[in-house]
Amino acid sequence: MRIEEFDVIIIGAGLSGLRAGLELSSKWNAAIISKVYPVRSHSGAAQGGINAALGNLEVSKEDTPKGHAFDTVKGSDYLADQNVVMFMCEEAPKIVIEFESMGAPFSRLESGLIAQRPFGGAGFPRTCYAGDRTGHALLHTLYEQSVRNGVKFFDEYFLIDLIVVENKVTGALCLNIASGELVIIRASYVILATGGFGRIFKRSTNALINTGDGNGAAFRAGVPMQDCEFVQFHPTTLYGTNILITEGARGEGGLLYNKKSERFMSKTAPEAMELAPRDIVARAIDIEVIEGRGFENSYVHLDLTHLGSEKIKERLPGIREISIFFAGVDPIDEPIPVQPGQHYSMGGIATKYKGDVGETDLPSLWVAGECSCLSVHGANRLGGNSLLETSVFGRAIGRKLLEKGLPQKPSLIIRENVENELLQKIENLFNKWENNKGKRPVEISDIMGETMNKNVGVFRKQDLLEKAYEDLKKIQKEFLNVHVATTDRKFNYGLIRTLELRNMLDIAEVTAYAALLRKESRGAHYRWDYPKRDDENFLWHSLVYRTKDGLELKKKPVILGIFEVKERVY
Amino acid sequence: MAENIKFLVYRNSGNGDIRYERYEVPIFKGMSVLEALFYIQDHFDSTLAFRYACRGAICGSCGMTIDKVPMLACRMQVSTVKTTKKPVNMPEFNFGEHSDWDKENEILIEPLPNMKILKDLVVDMDPFWKFYREIEPYFVRNWNNVAPESKQSPFQMKAIERLVYCILCGLCWACPVSSKNPSYLGPAQLAKADRFINDSRITKEKQQKVISRVIKEDGVPACERFFICNRVCPKGVMPGTAIKDLRDKWIKNE
Repeated sequence: MRIEEFDVIIIGAGLSGLRAGLELSSKWNAAIISKVYPVRSHSGAAQGGINAALGNLEVSKEDTPKGHAFDTVKGSDYLADQNVVMFMCEEAPKIVIEFESMGAPFSRLESGLIAQRPFGGAGFPRTCYAGDRTGHALLHTLYEQSVRNGVKFFDEYFLIDLIVVENKVTGALCLNIASGELVIIRASYVILATGGFGRIFKRSTNALINTGDGNGAAFRAGVPMQDCEFVQFHPTTLYGTNILITEGARGEGGLLYNKKSERFMSKTAPEAMELAPRDIVARAIDIEVIEGRGFENSYVHLDLTHLGSEKIKERLPGIREISIFFAGVDPIDEPIPVQPGQHYSMGGIATKYKGDVGETDLPSLWVAGECSCLSVHGANRLGGNSLLETSVFGRAIGRKLLEKGLPQKPSLIIRENVENELLQKIENLFNKWENNKGKRPVEISDIMGETMNKNVGVFRKQDLLEKAYEDLKKIQKEFLNVHVATTDRKFNYGLIRTLELRNMLDIAEVTAYAALLRKESRGAHYRWDYPKRDDENFLWHSLVYRTKDGLELKKKPVILGIFEVKERVY
Repeated sequence: MAENIKFLVYRNSGNGDIRYERYEVPIFKGMSVLEALFYIQDHFDSTLAFRYACRGAICGSCGMTIDKVPMLACRMQVSTVKTTKKPVNMPEFNFGEHSDWDKENEILIEPLPNMKILKDLVVDMDPFWKFYREIEPYFVRNWNNVAPESKQSPFQMKAIERLVYCILCGLCWACPVSSKNPSYLGPAQLAKADRFINDSRITKEKQQKVISRVIKEDGVPACERFFICNRVCPKGVMPGTAIKDLRDKWIKNE
């Protein structure tokens, strides 16, 4: 049995994890643990850009961090914690400039400054970009700086569970994917930066690896999930594979049409049109399809043809490549078939009320990025704010921990006992999976994906949500009896995917449950049966816990005080 | 209508036992080779090993050899494997005995060439990352927080744009030089060097540092101008052209 020891470990090597790791490695013995090679992380798939009120364009000279914060809070349908949003938006210009100093290859204006494009829900063009592969550019830049600074990595290590001793996190139990051995990695602090969990839905833009591993581990360790009912459905995902077609395509002038050649956005957002926030555009598209004005009853057209070949090749080369290879459509000649698909999880691991940003209620456990709920996106995230969140808070949490210093650890004897118990528990679980006679994982994950898509999707209502919740409880039981081969553990991806399913089932159940109990419509959470926002009864963050009797909801206040809560019109 | 397609898949438990297994997969419209492999893993053998992540041709995980051509499995549709034009003058890759391959009707799946095979379709990428680190692919400026950012014209950015989008998938290691010379830095690594050398923001000193590494025997001089890398690269990085740039523009006068 291998044991490793660090001051701090960071689970996940996307932008949040890498940025935290860079900060912490400068002073402490730190390591980043990732189930894939760092540059494979899903941050690399982000296309459109990163928001910062740099004011680089003539038209955006008047832009300010406060304006950015206002747009973010309004976009969140007033559910975001306003102090945290303000911090993020004030840090935004600094973090973008830092990326540039690290060598990030941003697209440029003629002036030589970083280019900025318009994005949904934003008062000014403030989305900085690198073509339509911004995430890739930033992820590689941070990885390059990690190589430069000799950051320690455990590549292809899978987080199974957190080690919790005397109500304090003291490390993580991981599976070395290559060798198949279980490894105890001890640390005084653990930062979870494991990304989103969109794969609980059948139709998602997310990478196949976005399975909520940090969320599952935290939830099993007793940390609640916050605001999981708020799931962003991106309006424009490629019909079929649901690969993301960036909002930048509309930012550059792309138009949406139904099969009657109508620009239907004029009905729901006459001012903002195609550049209304994502929740609003996604619902508008689904309504077109539901009411029979979609193509093949499934999708609408995103038309870029009028932009011309040169602009498409220059600004949206990745979109062109995706359309050609995954849908057989060249957007220079033809419109792209698009439909809404799960895209982003606004909710995630709950953070401590009025605690330090990223701090959880479980001592020594910190969270950053999409797996967390800080909450800067509230009920709906604006495009260009997720890359921003990852790097701003990765850096901020790293700095905060260095400032706090290393905590006291429980005695070694007690820690060893807990570690051995956990190891035994996981060995037993693997043995049980090997010997079980029940369903194969795919049979369970298919049901999960279907029920989430059908019943916890863009439009929700009581009976559908009840159905989803019941389905999920049922497959949770079936999962106890799941069968998968676990004896040969070397690169056993069947086993890895079963461990991922173990995490996803919990988070799917939480999502359906929280959606069931939120009887209002706010941001991305839309209910046919409660179509209005209800601030009187629902202006709170949901916290979902697992108790011995099942799931339980608690409420956490929203931090207001900077911007007045108003109706949200575009 | 569900149609079944046969796959002949290279299997290797990692201890010298090599075999090819046949699987019949029901395909749907738009199904990628990666999705077909998941079908096999889900329904026939959960231990079939292959890497994956984004399924959208941006992460670089799922490189493998499909019908004797290195490709990203996610970007290749099952229905077009047999009709897609193959790159010309591909070297022959030999992974094991499969003389019963029905070329017309079966899709042959093998790992990436010129890398050690760890299990099934999973190869050892450690040398790939080691050579990547060796060219010191990073800026060495101090980080700066304060506006304005350093300037770069759109024209200067253009000079590196193609190179920046390398996804480090390793397909270009299909190069015949990589096959015979295990210390060859590799096309992706040299293209990465070219990306930094051509960045208008880089200092002369850093530029020289990178050049001094790629000028060595196992760097640019080892390239034999096969340009296989250009033909298999899924992102249009054109590493061979980058190596030519290094040779003609940066090394000539050294």
